[in-house]
Amino acid sequence: MSATIDPTPREEFIAGSREVAPSLVGTIPFGLVVGVASVAAGLTPFEGVALSVLAFSGIAQLVATQLIAAQSPLLITVTAAFIVSLRLLMYSAALAPHLAHLTGRWRWLISYLMTDQSFAMTVRRYGEPGDRRHKHWFFMGASMTLFWTWQLAVVAGVLAGSGVPASWSLDFVVVLTFIALLVPVVKKRADFAAALVAATIALATAGFPYRLSLVVGSIAGIAVGLVLDRRHWRRSA
Amino acid sequence: MSTWLAIVGVGATTFLLRASFIVFADPQRFPRIFRQALAFVPPAVLAAIVAPGILLNQGRVDVSADNLRWLAGLVAIAVAAVTRSVMASIVSGMGVLWFLQWAMG
Repeated sequence: MSATIDPTPREEFIAGSREVAPSLVGTIPFGLVVGVASVAAGLTPFEGVALSVLAFSGIAQLVATQLIAAQSPLLITVTAAFIVSLRLLMYSAALAPHLAHLTGRWRWLISYLMTDQSFAMTVRRYGEPGDRRHKHWFFMGASMTLFWTWQLAVVAGVLAGSGVPASWSLDFVVVLTFIALLVPVVKKRADFAAALVAATIALATAGFPYRLSLVVGSIAGIAVGLVLDRRHWRRSA
Repeated sequence: MSTWLAIVGVGATTFLLRASFIVFADPQRFPRIFRQALAFVPPAVLAAIVAPGILLNQGRVDVSADNLRWLAGLVAIAVAAVTRSVMASIVSGMGVLWFLQWAMG
């Protein structure tokens, strides 16, 4: 271990902020749309911002907003948020071994701040060689930059929200954002099958109350993907 | 009141999922089948959100040219496949939707 591969907390923090900067081009419009959508769905500006601070997740915020607008029972809203946020569980399992040496307070803070982007960057960074004692500061640099950018974009959207006429169809931006996220994750045949089944079941159950179609469609898609995947592994094993 | 319960409930849910292994559990005990299932969460969840958003027209599945969001969505899917860019997908999809709304009067 040499001094050159053990940067100070400050150096790690700056490196993390720098690495996350290019992806803010996507964070800002998405935050704006989520802010606009929360007001359009009937949340007050304060409720929209509170949801953003507590959940700090675009997808969870959008889904929760729509279900609150539909007057869904609490259990259904929370279940839908749980399903769309399950990927965070996967991230948590992947990062945990790298964070085991930190104090409880650090681990709570890192958990709160973890997002798709900060996870992806941190995992890449932690995979690099070298025994860096302050590498959690890299995560903090990336996450704090994302956190403040996201919250300010949501606040701007919430403030603009009530002034946007419905004829602009701005709600469609949300669907387009999800299209842009969906297309790159469909890589294997099993991914395609999972997406196709989820879409079909979600459409077939569209008449169900409280947007239950989202939960039902998602579970059906995950199940089909899993079955195909396991069959594939068994065959190639 | 129920709105606030939902806001706090959703916040607690996302936090607990993030903290699950970092704070509370040992990832070694994470069953393999569960890990495999989680890999299909993004395509399934996103498709279950996108499909109704572009295919439903007044509560019915509509794949005709009358459904402007379907046409705009198809363009956005093509653009997303080629560019992999969130911005390009949003700009092209909204551009097509606004143009068609304007052209249809």
